[in-house]
Amino acid sequence: MSFAQERELEGAAVAAPVSGQFFRPQDTPLSVIWKFVRRKPLGAAGLIVVLILTVIGAFAPAMQRYDPETTLVIENPNYDPNSFETEAFSPVIPNLKGDPSTTNWLGTDVGGRDTWARLVWGARRSMGVGVGALVIATVVGTMLGVISAYFGGLLDTTLQRLLDAIQAFPPLLLLILIASTRPPSITNLILALGFIGITQVSRIVRGTVLVTRELPYVEAAKVIGANDLRTMIVHILPNVTAPIIVIFTIGLATVIVAEASLSFLAVAPPGASWGEMLSNGRGVITQTPYIALFSGAAISLAVLGFNLAGDALRDVLDPRLRNRAQ
Amino acid sequence: MRNYIIARILLNIPVILLVMTLVFVATRIGSDYAEKRAAGGLTGSGTFEEAVQQIRRQIGTDKPTFFVSCDFDASPCSWHWDNQYKNFMVNVIQFDFGDSLVTRTTVWSEIERRLPASIELGAIEIFFALIISVPIGIVSAIRQDSLPDYVLRIFAILGQAVPSFYLGVLFLLAASEWLNWIPPLTGTDYKEIWEDPSANLKQMLLPGLAGGLAVGAGIMRLLRSQMLEVLRQDYVRTAWSKGLRERTVVMRHVLKNALIPVVTVVGLLMAGLFSGNIVLETLFGIPGIGPLAVVAMRQTDQPMIYGVVIVAAVGLVFVNLAVDITYALVDPRIRYG
Repeated sequence: MSFAQERELEGAAVAAPVSGQFFRPQDTPLSVIWKFVRRKPLGAAGLIVVLILTVIGAFAPAMQRYDPETTLVIENPNYDPNSFETEAFSPVIPNLKGDPSTTNWLGTDVGGRDTWARLVWGARRSMGVGVGALVIATVVGTMLGVISAYFGGLLDTTLQRLLDAIQAFPPLLLLILIASTRPPSITNLILALGFIGITQVSRIVRGTVLVTRELPYVEAAKVIGANDLRTMIVHILPNVTAPIIVIFTIGLATVIVAEASLSFLAVAPPGASWGEMLSNGRGVITQTPYIALFSGAAISLAVLGFNLAGDALRDVLDPRLRNRAQ
Repeated sequence: MRNYIIARILLNIPVILLVMTLVFVATRIGSDYAEKRAAGGLTGSGTFEEAVQQIRRQIGTDKPTFFVSCDFDASPCSWHWDNQYKNFMVNVIQFDFGDSLVTRTTVWSEIERRLPASIELGAIEIFFALIISVPIGIVSAIRQDSLPDYVLRIFAILGQAVPSFYLGVLFLLAASEWLNWIPPLTGTDYKEIWEDPSANLKQMLLPGLAGGLAVGAGIMRLLRSQMLEVLRQDYVRTAWSKGLRERTVVMRHVLKNALIPVVTVVGLLMAGLFSGNIVLETLFGIPGIGPLAVVAMRQTDQPMIYGVVIVAAVGLVFVNLAVDITYALVDPRIRYG
């Protein structure tokens, strides 16, 4: 983040008061949903995609038709018990690179494993890693952002310069650096992705708090005698929920791509993952394009869903973010 | 203007020092895992413990970490002049990242050899991104809510969602299915642009287009919304009422002002672009610094990884410096604001 950009972000945060509340106090939960669907059909579609992916990921064991790691077999057409030829030796052979069929809906991969089952488990991994990383990023990032903006001064400057330095790294390269110093595991992957997300979250939270801090009601709270901790938690934090919901949604899209990239490069811990499937599928793309096509489409669909949902939520919850979150 | 540039350059120095410190902290705090893995790959005589010691001597982790180390059981704190942090910083400032643990060549010579390919790919992507997104953004804004606008916006939203490496795979599939053309895909096929321009560009075309489209989609959406904002300004109405042609109004009065924020965003997108390029370079066999980092990570080649990371991060700091200076050149408000 550079000087000029920062100036612009801060300018945008101060300008443009929220015009025309989208929801009114008399709205019931049902009418809120209906209004959202009617005014933001694309956002609603995105939310539905996100919901479906969450359900698929959460109930992966029930969605799979075969175990995602098992090599499936088919009858050997060349089987001949009286022959000593290699291809006639066994009554069954692994179903490698199978085309879609009624038994394997999306075909099988180079290892003879069911593509649908691996996609489902990939959804579980993407969503699990994404939510885990975003929870870390949001909790730590919000704390840093609120404290940094609320107290200001030297603490704020130091923290911001530190975040500047972290943001100077290409995110994927930083992930590779962190991953190289720790044993490969899903927990470490989530921690690393969460760490990188902190910068984004704290920056946007800080921008919002800088504005909130100056509002009369915060001053009133201080006059009544609320201490710093109480002011931050009871009075300032609720004002930051809207941007947090938006960053959480859009951030998930970024984290899913990052996880897929790492799996694609085979530097993430092993296991069924969309990125790894795309990487394996690419090698056999001229023989059976399905694996690469489906896994890549799954990544794109997830990102599209989160982007659309995030954009719509931003317009509805916090229009001021429009110029900032891009 | 000169003062602004000097101030901007001076501001970069602490950022670069901080970047180096962060890399040091990330690689040296709890570096046991990496050292032991690297030692496990060492062939030769001696015990495992000796191998670990040898690795430590090689990358300098046998010395105290910082200037001061404290041992609370025995003596109080002691001062070390010859420590890891000082050595690391002094060496890195001189582009000395040490020797690769695997190839035994210096890290910098390897990076220097591979840097042109990475820079070229980035430049080609930015070129594609701009020539695609700027005209589309203009058309989409001046024909707001028309059919072309809707179609182009749908493509932009899709372009932002599809990761560049999936786009690359799709291009490969399309090229082999419909054009019967498989571009050169390995590092051994790779020719530098000054050796064989046509072979080089053949290999760069698909990744450049894939990365360019991914970046261009974002630029197009931003340019469109900026254009719409500027189109409603009073001075644009004045330009219309003077009887200027649409072409003049759009090109001279609207586009110039709408492009200012876009310049900033191009800088902001570079970090993401580089991340995507690590995957694209690996996918298309371009011997840039991305695959270097990936291979080094698999082989736990610590000096190589931090060499690549520092070079990339410092490079990005300078790209952002260039963007800021451009920004100040096109928008006088920044210089005097």
